[in-house]
Amino acid sequence: MTDYGHDLLFGTFVTPSAQSPQKVVDLAVTADRAGLDLVTFQDHPYQPAFLDTWTLISYAAARTSRVHLAGNVHSLPLRPPAMLARAVASLDRLSDGRIELGIGAGAFWDGIEAMGGRRLTAAQGVTALREAIGIIREVWDVSTRGGIHLDGEFYQVDGAKRGPEPAHDVPIWVGSYKPKMLELTGAYADGWLPTLEYIEGGLDSVPGINGRIDEAAAAAGRSPGDVRRLLNLMNVSFQPTSRALLNGPVDQWVEDLAGLVLEYGFSTFLIGGDDPAVAERFAAEVAPQVRELVARER
Amino acid sequence: MTLELGVVLDPALPPATMAALAQRAEEAGLDMVVTNPGDLDPWTTATWLLGSTKSIPIGVALAPVATPDPRDPEAGYPSVAGRARDSLDLLAGARLITDPSAWTLAPADPSPADLERAAAANLPVVVPASTEAEVDRLARLLIEHRGPRPTGPRRTSSVRAKRLPGIAYDEVPASLAETAVEPGDPAYRTVRSTYLRGGRPGLVLRPTTPPQVADALAFADRHRHLPLGIRSGGHGVSGRSTNNGGLVIDVGGMNTIEVLDTATRRVRIGPGATWKQVAAALDPYGWALGSGDYGGVGVGGLATAGGIGYLSRKHGLTIDHLVAVEMVLADGSIVRADREENPDLFWGVRGAGANLGVVTAFEFEVYEVAEVGSAQLTLVVPDIEEALLRFGEMAAEAPRDTTVFLVTGRPRPEGSVIQLYGLVDSPDPEVIVERLTPFASLGALVQQQVILAHYTDVMNQAHDIGPDGHHGHGEPHARSGLIPGLTSEFARDAAQLLRTGDVYFFQLRTMGGAIADVDPTATAFAHRNAAFQITAMGGGTEALDTAWSLVQPHLEGLYLSFETTRSPERVADAFPPATLTRLRELKQRFDPTNLFRDNFNIDLSEMNR
Ligand SMILES: Cc1cc2nc3c(=O)[nH]c(=O)nc-3n(C[C@H](O)[C@H](O)[C@H](O)COP(=O)(O)OP(=O)(O)OC[C@H]3O[C@@H](n4cnc5c(N)ncnc54)[C@H](O)[C@@H]3O)c2cc1C
Repeated sequence: MTDYGHDLLFGTFVTPSAQSPQKVVDLAVTADRAGLDLVTFQDHPYQPAFLDTWTLISYAAARTSRVHLAGNVHSLPLRPPAMLARAVASLDRLSDGRIELGIGAGAFWDGIEAMGGRRLTAAQGVTALREAIGIIREVWDVSTRGGIHLDGEFYQVDGAKRGPEPAHDVPIWVGSYKPKMLELTGAYADGWLPTLEYIEGGLDSVPGINGRIDEAAAAAGRSPGDVRRLLNLMNVSFQPTSRALLNGPVDQWVEDLAGLVLEYGFSTFLIGGDDPAVAERFAAEVAPQVRELVARER
Repeated sequence: MTLELGVVLDPALPPATMAALAQRAEEAGLDMVVTNPGDLDPWTTATWLLGSTKSIPIGVALAPVATPDPRDPEAGYPSVAGRARDSLDLLAGARLITDPSAWTLAPADPSPADLERAAAANLPVVVPASTEAEVDRLARLLIEHRGPRPTGPRRTSSVRAKRLPGIAYDEVPASLAETAVEPGDPAYRTVRSTYLRGGRPGLVLRPTTPPQVADALAFADRHRHLPLGIRSGGHGVSGRSTNNGGLVIDVGGMNTIEVLDTATRRVRIGPGATWKQVAAALDPYGWALGSGDYGGVGVGGLATAGGIGYLSRKHGLTIDHLVAVEMVLADGSIVRADREENPDLFWGVRGAGANLGVVTAFEFEVYEVAEVGSAQLTLVVPDIEEALLRFGEMAAEAPRDTTVFLVTGRPRPEGSVIQLYGLVDSPDPEVIVERLTPFASLGALVQQQVILAHYTDVMNQAHDIGPDGHHGHGEPHARSGLIPGLTSEFARDAAQLLRTGDVYFFQLRTMGGAIADVDPTATAFAHRNAAFQITAMGGGTEALDTAWSLVQPHLEGLYLSFETTRSPERVADAFPPATLTRLRELKQRFDPTNLFRDNFNIDLSEMNR
């Protein structure tokens, strides 16, 4: 039983398909109207069938008014950290504080290399991401005087200017699975953002992972509650009868999600599938009941 | 003079005000909004403004992406920036202008004289504005001083900003201006690429009549410094029917299929029809015309090159049923060619048409085809060398009614997967089974589909191209060769080629039969005694060429449609000496200045050297 007590957030995990760009934007608009908290987009800059995720988020931010938006997760090797930080802060200002930042060390190295990016080993990726998070936070920190300096193993900056400052305290959520990356998440990030289907061992291994994040947080002088636990769920559907996790009737969804909150510590749920009807039901029927049930149980 | 007027937004404005002013400018009919984002990221700000508006062009000065440096956390990647640009065009329509020399600045609260002075540069004039009242005032000024708007399709400043140097866009012939597509147009993404190739041409002209083709050729003639592609169905492999920065003449719109005479089964077909459409149109008459193995391919490219397909062993190549063409020559003349009229041209069009002109109509005499057996078999074979050899024997010995093609790729640890695609021209199930049985014994059968079908059903397996056009990426790398027989030495070397792992697609097309009945000198397709056509596709040129050199010694010529290499040696492989000599004479007569050069170019200057 691990519940970190975070407020609950509900949202979607959208495929940025270039085949029907309008439909992708409409998914964000639907999430906004339906009252979801978050709409997030995969980021695979080397995938020609996809839209550029940052451009899509900037465009969708203008088409929506309440929902928060984020990359899920940005591919660090092709999103240079200072550039990304400035873009995120700019859009956060333009959208009145609705942008969050999801980031990962990168996968699909052939694609990354084909785009001109740098291939890193898993261990190098951890260090590069740690340096990148430092740079991002420095860019956003305009209260410290002087430029940004870092003579890192993977990034070098010598006196870059700070700013712009985001409109709100933008959290940094890290997509991570392997021990070293999980430790980095605990020590430096504001959130852990995995996709359920990619967690080796599935839900059963989540308590162990949480423990690892918690330990790393404590070792860094932080509290486990500083790291929000988010979860992408790709395979979801409303069904008349119960089939599997989040594949069943509304009541089952509510129970599944409350269980994920109270027993596994998750507090943010991002559903895939790109189906506006499912997103609307998620917002209207599932989210309020989960909130209610969790409030009662907590 | 035409005045185009817009606003520049002050970076100090609150974002909500910026969006409101941009929307106001759009509603009031202004021509452009320029943002000066101050501290904020320019790309993000412009994209956000595009999302806040619907149709007005947005300008932002954007520094070109510098050289990427993975150690520099500020340095972006040009490849990612290029994709971002494409995405933005898809999302917002091509409305972004990033070159600050595409607009000119006038002072705030301008007098008519200020405007006139600024407008002398013939660029949109932008004026600082920070309230809705200021925007409205500019809109009134615009109405008072607008002047006549040009006729013809009006392209906004953002579309014009994407024009490429070296193309006289404003001189596109009137007959083509309405349908021409340039990089900033919304339709551009549907025409820039082909089935296998990504491209960014500077201008696509889309003639729909022979005189319009002549106009397009005259325009192309004035742009000799640029590549020129001729496009029909967009399935070119050897033919560069798209390019980067050049012109494309796309006759895909000329796609009518007309029955001229039922007694002789004479049909007239536009170059833009696909073979799937042709098969569907002929089917109600009980007729067919063999094409290739894929119904998506266009008539224009295939019927000027050969046409090796599922009915070739029984009925010959597609070009063997051609009885006349209408074409537009390099000098703009519109001619007909058949056995009596322009017989030389008619000879050359059947195999080397791409060098001689643009065919605007093909007339064929087609044949009757009843139901056929259509087969797709997937087999796993432990030894690809042996399988190739046995396939070669079976395919060559099969009666003419049976044509089977083989496709395989990189061998896997458990063996090679081979796919056999075949057609038996017989409505009798027993005959069909009898013909296919030997092929099914080539290995372990993992999947099979054998159906009694019409030829149109076979062609129908291809996807429709649809209004969205083709979306090829990058460049295909393909090699083509012909062999007079499948010897054990060839099988050995082909197996070796496959084992390099550098060939992901390897195909044997069975020829022979009726193809060989035609005299090699009768058409410009001279390799009549070939038993198989071989195609290999790989990820990169060098690795593919190295692998290909393993089979090179066995080859006797090539079929040009599957070869992407461009060199005089390959042209000589496609056309044996006597054919080439005659083609050079024709090139000299019909296209002496080499306007048509996108596909196995017979370049007189190069060959004289
Ligand atoms: C999936 C696939 C399967 C294929 N299968 C077969 C097959 O089974 N048998 C076979 O023989 N070939 C086959 N081909 C090859 C095909 O015949 C050629 O690529 C052909 O050029 C495609 O014609 P298109 O009109 O679609 O191509 P386009 O890309 O429009 O044109 C290709 C080239 O043909 C020339 N051309 C086009 N239109 C005209 C015209 N109106 N007048 C003069 N020249 C013109 C130009 O040089 C142009 O660059 C196949 C190709 C593909 C991609």
